[in-house]
Amino acid sequence: MKNPLERKRNFITIFTKGGLPSKLSYLIMGLMHLVSGQVIKGCLFLAVEIAYIAYMVTSGIDRIRNLITLGDNVQGMVFNEAVGIYEVQQGDNSMLILLFGVVTLVISLAFIAMWLVSIFSGEDARSRKAAGKHVRTFAEDIRSLLNDKVHLAFLAIPVAGLSIFTLTPLIYMILMAFTNYDSEHQPPGNLFDWVGLENFRTLLSTSDRLSATFWPVLGWTFIWGIFATFSCYFGGMFLAIVINSKGIKYKKFWRTIFVTIMAIPSFISLKVVGTMLGERGIINVLLQQWGFTDHALPFLTNTDWARVTVIIVNFWIGVPVTMLMVSGILMNIPGELYESAKIDGASPFKMFTKITFPYMWFITTPYVISNLIGNFNNFNAIYFLTGGAPNSLDYFKGAGKTDLLVTWLYKLTKDSNDYNLAASIGIIIFVISATFTLITFQRSKAVKNEEGFQ
Amino acid sequence: MDKKVIGLNLEHYDKALCGSIVGAASLFLPYAAKDGTSLSLAKTALSLPGEGKLTFFVCVVWVLVLTGVLSAICAIYSRFRTGVGSVKLCRNLQAINTLSFTLMLFVSKYVLTESGLLSGFLNRNLSFGYYLGLIASYFTLIRFMKTTKTDRGYILLTILGVIWLFPVLWILLTALRKEQGYYVGYFFPHALTFQNFVELFSHPSVLPFGRWWLNTVIVAVSACVVNTLIVLGTAYVLSRTRFAGRKPFMNILMIIGMFPGFMSLIAVYNILKGLGLNQSLMALIVVGAAGAAMGYHVTKGFFDTFPKALDEAAIIDGANRFQIFLHVILPLSKSIIVYTVLGTFLGAWSYYIFPSMLFGDKQSSYTAAVGLFWLTDMRRIETYYTQFAAGAVVVAVPIVILFIWLQQFYVDGLSGSVKG
Repeated sequence: MKNPLERKRNFITIFTKGGLPSKLSYLIMGLMHLVSGQVIKGCLFLAVEIAYIAYMVTSGIDRIRNLITLGDNVQGMVFNEAVGIYEVQQGDNSMLILLFGVVTLVISLAFIAMWLVSIFSGEDARSRKAAGKHVRTFAEDIRSLLNDKVHLAFLAIPVAGLSIFTLTPLIYMILMAFTNYDSEHQPPGNLFDWVGLENFRTLLSTSDRLSATFWPVLGWTFIWGIFATFSCYFGGMFLAIVINSKGIKYKKFWRTIFVTIMAIPSFISLKVVGTMLGERGIINVLLQQWGFTDHALPFLTNTDWARVTVIIVNFWIGVPVTMLMVSGILMNIPGELYESAKIDGASPFKMFTKITFPYMWFITTPYVISNLIGNFNNFNAIYFLTGGAPNSLDYFKGAGKTDLLVTWLYKLTKDSNDYNLAASIGIIIFVISATFTLITFQRSKAVKNEEGFQ
Repeated sequence: MDKKVIGLNLEHYDKALCGSIVGAASLFLPYAAKDGTSLSLAKTALSLPGEGKLTFFVCVVWVLVLTGVLSAICAIYSRFRTGVGSVKLCRNLQAINTLSFTLMLFVSKYVLTESGLLSGFLNRNLSFGYYLGLIASYFTLIRFMKTTKTDRGYILLTILGVIWLFPVLWILLTALRKEQGYYVGYFFPHALTFQNFVELFSHPSVLPFGRWWLNTVIVAVSACVVNTLIVLGTAYVLSRTRFAGRKPFMNILMIIGMFPGFMSLIAVYNILKGLGLNQSLMALIVVGAAGAAMGYHVTKGFFDTFPKALDEAAIIDGANRFQIFLHVILPLSKSIIVYTVLGTFLGAWSYYIFPSMLFGDKQSSYTAAVGLFWLTDMRRIETYYTQFAAGAVVVAVPIVILFIWLQQFYVDGLSGSVKG
């Protein structure tokens, strides 16, 4: 303590080397601040601790304990001996028990974070005081939020928002994948319970109806993702090259034509295109009037037709987006490359494969991968166009031949209330996305080297 | 051809000439054949009546035959009297010829069956003369364009442009269509009207579209302000400052982002209910803002490109981190702010799943997306299809306005707003 250059203490040494107040501050938050003269800060920490303990004693501990059983009392008629009649007994609501349990868990996590902060900032105050330096007053602490602690000020709202509306629901749903909360175990009438990995086992490995749906849907999700991504990628690149080539005048005009469709929200244009492709829709009407066919074509009703149709319609929507992005990159390719290639007598095709494409591919690999993940989860394109139709009798309730994993997931929550399956599928989607993201991160220098340009 | 003319690339000329002669010859070959009767295009053109309701389509056939013959004559003439003007004339004639050849794919049935020349005609009855002519016309056009040094991309862009605008045009025409109904057997409306737009706003008790539209504007504008601020703040802190827990925080955000979002909507709904916010617009704004930070990537990448010296200079001048954000970083970030604002605004207009779950049947707080989708329900689509299209146009209006207004800031693009 005499030495101002004493090594900074870590979580353990604060306890072992510290005096009594330091040790006690592990139990009583803010004590060290009070001792060091930061009265307001110390009181605030103390208040947080008291509030948390009060919450845990009144309801928190029960809620955590309930998580283990998810409720015991089924709603039903119970004989009341005192009065001598059967009465309706309010049962436990497993869903609310799970939700409140998760909320309590998140609150506890937040409290633990707070507790760590209090220990470290208390230690900071102590060492400053011991070294004879100025201990920050409360007003100075507030002011530091605008300078060296600016991240606390800026991230407070996002972190709070994410914990309440993203993290809590996410933990809740992940836990749900390990329960049997399906259409036959609906609270408040019924209880549901933990089943371990049972849902994943039925989805992945048995010869059940479910896995007979899961694997084909997964396969189609991959086929769709690959076709949707690369068709739009190459289509958009091709269009951008054509529009940006030297001989084309009125570039803005041509670009505007293709960008127009972006002004209409995609669910509207998809819905409209869906009606246009119907049996009596305008496209079938026109095709017959023009003499291309004498009967309506099953664009969205036959499995193979529907699958090709959704890919083509997605192409229609996706190409302008890629075109806009690619245009910017195209203009950055040094013109001399093309000049010298031309002098060497290279054909336009050769120039594309040897100059344009390698350049593009180098820059846009992360974009393509994230686009691929985006397309695996492209809810809009499928749900608003076909709704997953044509439905199939071979598939589990309501799933159709153009359903992706995400649209099936949505149907499972919305239409048939099989939340456990939906949550399991969600976790599987996460695993797929995570795998692809990891690959990107390993390959992409731009992500690793965030200070490369500074 | 050995001649040299400035402005022309005559090595392609002979092929173009051959093409146009083949094209002209194909006019006299069988164009359509069915049940033993076969017709050439020239014969069809001569035997079609000149008046009646067929007029436009008959004109296509006439123009086709006329330009086919003229283009060949012009090509032969230019072979001997070569000049920029005459070859360009050839090219333009050939362009019209190609266009009408393509149009014949769509009008043949109508023309032949209505004029009684071939009953029960389908496109599969088109004969080899037609296909030869079609291929020859495109081939010739391309060669002429090469000769006159015109970019061939125009052909492609024209075809693609028509395909891309087709559904957009359909929405517009449906919005203006006087005849109600979902399925009509024609593309161009028989009568135009603005009544559909008026209807949208004139029955607030049955179809409160005005209310929905206003709701969406409220949500979109507040989301723009709040989300953009959150994204900018998060990106700034993560990019320009270093603090303990920065990397873990970014990793957590990334992991959270990999779960499909609407997996947890049920839980969000229950939490909102617990907070007493359900079925209100406020809930939509709050939930949107809560998740906004996850979209920090692009903005952070943008901030990463600013040189460190920028901050250091400001710090020497006595600015604190907040002032640097406000007075140094933000003024340099116009294009990225525009990008974020546009994205948020567009998102608010097309956000459907969560609002539809949140509002249930409380129509007065629907957003335009939920409302319009409600109109396309099986029971309503027949009555409301034209209004739905009109609604789609009305929804597109603010987006287009914002697009155009923001374009002036967007010109610089996203690259290189700080040099050196």
